Amino acid sequence: MSVEPVPAAAPSAGELIRNGILTENPVFRLALSLCPAVAVTTNVTNGIALGLAVLAVQVLSSVTVALTRTRIHPRVRIPVYTLIIAVWVSAIDMTLAAFAPAVYAQVGLYVKLIVAFAIIISRLEMFASRYPLVPSFWDGLGMGLGFLFALMVIGALRELLGNGSILGFQLTPAKPLLFFALPAGGFFSIALLMALFNRIERMMGGTGAPSGGGSHGV
Amino acid sequence: MSPDLPILPAPPRADRGEMFRIAMNLTLFSALAAAILGGVWLATERYAAAARLAGEKRAIGELLGLGESAEVTEVEQFMAAAAREVVYRAHAYGDDAGPVRTVTFSFEGELRGREDLAAPAAAPAGGGAEAALEPLGRMFVARQDGALAGFVVEGEARGYKNRIRFFVALDSAFQVAGVRVLEHEEDPGLGAEIATPWFEGQYIGRSAGDVAKLTVTKDPMPEDWRAALAGLARTPVADWRAKHGALLAREGPKPIYAVTGATISSRALTDGLRTTVDHFRRRWALLGPQLAEGA
Repeated sequence: MSVEPVPAAAPSAGELIRNGILTENPVFRLALSLCPAVAVTTNVTNGIALGLAVLAVQVLSSVTVALTRTRIHPRVRIPVYTLIIAVWVSAIDMTLAAFAPAVYAQVGLYVKLIVAFAIIISRLEMFASRYPLVPSFWDGLGMGLGFLFALMVIGALRELLGNGSILGFQLTPAKPLLFFALPAGGFFSIALLMALFNRIERMMGGTGAPSGGGSHGV
Repeated sequence: MSPDLPILPAPPRADRGEMFRIAMNLTLFSALAAAILGGVWLATERYAAAARLAGEKRAIGELLGLGESAEVTEVEQFMAAAAREVVYRAHAYGDDAGPVRTVTFSFEGELRGREDLAAPAAAPAGGGAEAALEPLGRMFVARQDGALAGFVVEGEARGYKNRIRFFVALDSAFQVAGVRVLEHEEDPGLGAEIATPWFEGQYIGRSAGDVAKLTVTKDPMPEDWRAALAGLARTPVADWRAKHGALLAREGPKPIYAVTGATISSRALTDGLRTTVDHFRRRWALLGPQLAEGA
């Protein structure tokens, strides 16, 4: 059943983490999962909460796929990946509701949406289905951290400009540029940060062009 | 992660046996997923229900400033559309196995019956002869040291996106003691601000008559009022009201200050409160004596 052309050697843990956070940052480099990146980042706290939930789902799903990849029929691998993601999302949703009701009140709305995040399934297809457990774990961790990092930065920018506060602490008396808290402001924030990311990449000798992704799904 | 990763080769055309294996493969994974989710649900549902109940109990206690010894009665309201009746079931809050009093009124407000049961009968929404009962929300009656401490009424409003579920607490004189938004899907950073103490606190101290005429203004909220309301998050309501008496007297007759950029959400909650408080007053005038008698 397995038609796996396993790539020679898996990258090291450090490389995979760096890759997820910087080189192939899901939001700024791969341009994946932009919908949630716009929708929830009106403040830092929301960004962190959703980032952590995505991190957990990404790591758990990558590990599950790495462990079961030889048993998944290649013709139904996408439905099976979706199923695996949905199981972990629902498990986390139910666990939060039961044991952390205060957190659930804040992020419950967004957690269920993680099932449809393009970044998670794309890592399963691009990485976890081709590599064994350990590198898949590090890839999931790196990508999850990269998403968390991106959401934090966008959230900080929008909260600061839109609300004049950081983490809920009011820094300016009024809302300086309410526009940035509105959905349209989210697009501008991400565009500005993406441009900044490209600039940094170029200064560090990179190409400055996104290397992958393609699908601009949810 | 080099970009030249090999693409999975297209699998050969499936024959019948292959198609069967594909179907079985997907079925197997689906069955496993269902088993895992069922297991997680079984393991967590008890705690989730307890967490919901604890959250509501805490909200009721905080809204009315109740002590440990307070007794709370939960009153569930149902409508039997076919029989044109409203049915109330009252029992000690959090105790689903204790004595229940059922009171039935016609739509016109005429008493149709009252019944005390030592333990709840089978589900009130009986099929067959008895038409289905449609839940109309709940209210809670709190007593502290034998005296009526106040009411908490559950209400719903149509928000910007979806329904807003809230508790409104009234003291024994039908003055608003507090408002707590329990569930909503308003926009984070905008409409979601209605669920913060500085917005919810604006309703405190208004009489039921004031609530019936309450409007929303887009004027900016005065800074001293905003600062005082923010303090609600840290102070019990009674202390807070004592401390800010002058401000409350100044702001009490004024409209509700809308959340900047979220006038619709602000109006939605205000309208929902108006309806809920109005309905409750009229229902309690009928129901109150029936619950008090022989209790």
